[in-house]
Amino acid sequence: MRKEVPMIITALSALAAVFGNFFWLGHHWGVMDLLDNWFNRSFAFAALIGVINLSIIHINAIRRRKENWVYSLILLIAMYGYAILGLIQTTDGPQASWIYNNVLTPLDSTVFALLAFYITSASYRAFRARTVEATVLLVTAIVVMLGVAPIGAVLFTDKISSLAQWLLNYANAGTYRAFSIAGSLGAMATALRITLGLERAHLGGAQ
Amino acid sequence: MLGLLLAADEPAPVLGIFWADATVAAFVATVLFALMVWYLIARARSGLKIPEVRKLPGLDAFDEAIGRATEMGRPVHYSPGISAVSSTQTIASFGILGHVAKLCAKYDTRLIQTNADITTYGVAEEVIRQAYLEAGRPDAFNAEDVRFLSDWQFGYASGVLGIFQREKPAANICIGAFWAEALLFMEAGVNQGMIQVAGTANNAQLPFFVATADYALIAEEIYAASAYLSKEPVMLGTVVAEDWARIIVFALIIVGTILSFFQQKNWLGGILKK
Repeated sequence: MRKEVPMIITALSALAAVFGNFFWLGHHWGVMDLLDNWFNRSFAFAALIGVINLSIIHINAIRRRKENWVYSLILLIAMYGYAILGLIQTTDGPQASWIYNNVLTPLDSTVFALLAFYITSASYRAFRARTVEATVLLVTAIVVMLGVAPIGAVLFTDKISSLAQWLLNYANAGTYRAFSIAGSLGAMATALRITLGLERAHLGGAQ
Repeated sequence: MLGLLLAADEPAPVLGIFWADATVAAFVATVLFALMVWYLIARARSGLKIPEVRKLPGLDAFDEAIGRATEMGRPVHYSPGISAVSSTQTIASFGILGHVAKLCAKYDTRLIQTNADITTYGVAEEVIRQAYLEAGRPDAFNAEDVRFLSDWQFGYASGVLGIFQREKPAANICIGAFWAEALLFMEAGVNQGMIQVAGTANNAQLPFFVATADYALIAEEIYAASAYLSKEPVMLGTVVAEDWARIIVFALIIVGTILSFFQQKNWLGGILKK
């Protein structure tokens, strides 16, 4: 019964989603909104499990004085401190907003900014012209970069921009859509396997 | 049934029972695809031969990656992406996670699994626990190695980079729905000399995985993974149905292109509306 009950619930939910997505009466009854609400409520409950997991791991790290245990202490103080602050003054309160705008947002932007350097180093590796394919990639990338950057038009007239747009609109968009179609068919096959109870990995263990 | 479906009041249903124009073609395609899957499942169940599925090098690479981590005595890191458990990519990732966990249990290699979504955390823990049980090593399962880090995209990325720095995994496996954090993981992995297997169906992230991973699973390959790894004919039948559907879509694109060339642009809509 450990696997059968979730499988039955999954199959019924899948049929309800088909009914809600395709049929007028399902849409009229708001079946998808109901399913979304159930998911959101399950999610809210699951948030508690995440907090418990984080707490157990970091309390154990502090207790056992693991390497860098001070960071675990900082994490716990930040997590519970911000939660308590939010409960006292809501997340729109002056101190809570200040922390969000002046600590969280800059930290987030800092990590995001690292991408610029990582893209450069990854591109360097990908564009090394060691094979015919890598050479085609390198030439295409140079044309597209020059085509979308102002310096390209200055150096090579507007023709480079037209060539870059052609590459983006036809060569790139065509391939992109091929991957999208293939991915969608794969997602449909996975959904059918789950609905029919063939795919059970998410219920625990390998297939 | 049809009467019941039509029994409600305004707004009036489009094309009989369907609620919008666009859903008709999608519904027809879904039913046709389901019939193909059903046919191949029935064929496999009755013991008839089904076409072979091509070799997927990315999926055969897990043994190599985990084997190398075992030799080096260092852990394996696994990320299922940052989507919730409702994403088909995440579900597909769990099929691979079960296989990876079983291999880690078999080789007695530590597996560190990180989560950016609360809903994936509980499922991942159960998948890994069950895999260790099936491998006959329930004692080797460590619940503290299944971790929820943060549901904030770059908070999660920072957490994973910290684990890379502190615990120095020898292999990094990233399969699921990834966005901008993907390259942060992969480049950090390259810099630390990890063997990396990555896959996603998010097209915008695929080039980063191809450029940085030792083995990349492209788009539908991650969906075929659990069927491919299970080697069960019934499961493989669904992958063959995918291939058949792809051939049909390809033929429709060719026909559509020719008809579009002759200015009959809405030919499919016209046929379905008749």
